[in-house]
Amino acid sequence: MQRRHRRAHAAIWTLLAIVLPVALAVIFLSYPRLSRDAPAIRLDEPGKTAAGQS
Amino acid sequence: MSVSYQPVIWNRTKIIYDAVLIVAIVAYVLIFLKLGPMLSPAMAETNPPILRMRAFGSLALILLTVVLAIGPLARLDVRFMPLLYNRRHFGVMTAIVAATHAWYVLAWYFAFSPTPQLLALFTSNTSFAQVSGFPFELFGVFALTILAVLAATSHDFWLSFLSPAIWKAIHMSVYAAYAAVVLHVALGALADGRNAALGVFLFASLGTLCALHLIAGRRERAADKAGSPEVDRTGWIDIGDVSEIAENRAIIGAAPGGERIAVFRSKGKLSAISNVCSHQNGPVGEGKVVLGLVTCPWHGYQYRLEDGCSPPPFKERIRKYRVALSGTRVLVDPEPLPLGTRLEPLAIPEDTLAAPAAPSGG
Ligand code: FES
Repeated sequence: MQRRHRRAHAAIWTLLAIVLPVALAVIFLSYPRLSRDAPAIRLDEPGKTAAGQS
Repeated sequence: MSVSYQPVIWNRTKIIYDAVLIVAIVAYVLIFLKLGPMLSPAMAETNPPILRMRAFGSLALILLTVVLAIGPLARLDVRFMPLLYNRRHFGVMTAIVAATHAWYVLAWYFAFSPTPQLLALFTSNTSFAQVSGFPFELFGVFALTILAVLAATSHDFWLSFLSPAIWKAIHMSVYAAYAAVVLHVALGALADGRNAALGVFLFASLGTLCALHLIAGRRERAADKAGSPEVDRTGWIDIGDVSEIAENRAIIGAAPGGERIAVFRSKGKLSAISNVCSHQNGPVGEGKVVLGLVTCPWHGYQYRLEDGCSPPPFKERIRKYRVALSGTRVLVDPEPLPLGTRLEPLAIPEDTLAAPAAPSGG
């Protein structure tokens, strides 16, 4: 019982340790960026999106 | 441990534990709301309702990180054991803080929604096909739902009603909640790239928790693998030397199937019982004998040495094992006796008893 629980635990954390960093990398790489030739003076703040409100 | 179910059986330790927790929560929120705007121009420019939702959101992440770190920390170093004692109050508090964050979000962003607020939350953003701009709120709702269910079923009534195995399985969904919180924060609060502190904390939280859980798990696996050697093909296992056992303490061995067995030494006698507490599978053998009763280090459930039963009126029971001495070696039959079987503790012979017990850990 204790052993099965420990095994499940180890499997879950191994999975999280692999999946979450990959997911974070994908998320951070897909944040919108200004294109190289974007005008220097902008009305919107760089990188500010509706998603960043909360 | 109680005969009838009361909402909470308060004692001094629980009151102090909860008081410290509440003071820490209030202090964090006050510092965030009052000191934050003084120190950070960006926070000074932010609307108070948004600041409030950020205070409770970041606090929920911190509390969840701490509550998930307590288990492996206590496995790695017994000095963290006291934190385990009232961990469920910590968990309930985390759920309340997370719910407060959600309440502020609904009250601010969906205050003037023409549709009901919850409906608007689920329907206002449907960009499921893209990573950036994904409706991150859904991860938050998912995590909050799990935390609410866990908080609602945290009482011992549910533990006993569902059985420890099922209760434990349900409560492991807190890891799914944590994963959802990480995605919720990464896709939401960090998307504008302006919250460096939260970003750093998120990575530190994830790295620390993964490392702690994996290291603690590795240690346990090594202990499982080591097992206890069988004695001359008798089926009995050699748990250790009697001199290794401190008075009123135990040494722990592992049966071939991996089940751990604790052998306690008390008043010149040895008793072997399961190392698995009937409450939440706590390591009984890491506890001590208090007033003649084995006391689990996690939440204090107690068992009699002679039959593994809790003293009346309590009804908890754990398995007993046969124990023998070969010289100074402690041998145990890894075949458990039926629950409730009475077996008098084994007296240690005078000459063996002369060997000093290991110094007691306190
Ligand atoms: S696990 Fe809670 S008292 Fe043992």
